[in-house]
Amino acid sequence: MTASVLLRPAPPATAFLRDELLADRTSTLTRLYQRTFPMVRRHVLERGGTTQDAKDVFQDALVVFYEKTVSGRLILTCSPGTYLVGVCRHLWQQELSRRNRLPLSELGEAEEQLPDFAEAPATESAPALAVLDYVAKLGEKCQHILLSFYYFQQPLEQIAAENNYGSVRSATVQKFKCLERLRKAVRQALALPSAR
Amino acid sequence: MRPELEHLQQLEQHLLGHPTPTEKVLWQAQLQLDPALAADVTLQQHLYQGLLLAGRRQLRQELDDIHAQLYRPRRTWLRKAVARLHQALRPTRR
Repeated sequence: MTASVLLRPAPPATAFLRDELLADRTSTLTRLYQRTFPMVRRHVLERGGTTQDAKDVFQDALVVFYEKTVSGRLILTCSPGTYLVGVCRHLWQQELSRRNRLPLSELGEAEEQLPDFAEAPATESAPALAVLDYVAKLGEKCQHILLSFYYFQQPLEQIAAENNYGSVRSATVQKFKCLERLRKAVRQALALPSAR
Repeated sequence: MRPELEHLQQLEQHLLGHPTPTEKVLWQAQLQLDPALAADVTLQQHLYQGLLLAGRRQLRQELDDIHAQLYRPRRTWLRKAVARLHQALRPTRR
């Protein structure tokens, strides 16, 4: 799990991209999508895939790209578009390999170039999936605050301003109240003991 | 902040913050001595994992919306109607 408390200094280009993603996620992702997806689609279509395959691969790459960028774990040595196309080529080659039941060792060059991207997805354990259900049942406001902070990594200052809280402290208290509501619902569902 | 909320904040600092090596050792000792606290930590970790999954789901939905907005199917009915209109207005040869 990542959160803003884990942030480390990122290189200037990546830090700028991170700021853009945090300030206006939709516009920034739309721009990246518009510039990059046609190249990914062309690549996938030329190698036996469909537009849906290209969309799946591209969105997988964008999700990890977002998480790595906002948590300061991405160091870009090229443009974001070039990086994303490289990652998508790698992911598509992996997918083709899986479909053709080839061993991953035959993936070749692409895999060697992008060793850090192949991250294991978050463990979809039964309790985590149960939490997922209860997040969906939270009110819209709590859902928004918790996801903004814990997943989208928006600073509390921004969350406070967007939700009309008078101060960062008020937003912090509200965040923990929402977390407490989620805890109570999940604890009851999983019948777990508690220290408090 | 209420003590219950401060307790959550404390758990969060240990789980998501940057505790020093000494703090880590003390925290581990505390967890071994207090099973209820350890259970609380486990629950908090499940919450963070669930929020990660929920966040990914939301981001994926946002990306689907962006895709739909950028590549929505063209209005073929409109194009066909315009083409028919052009054909109807085209002067016929005599």
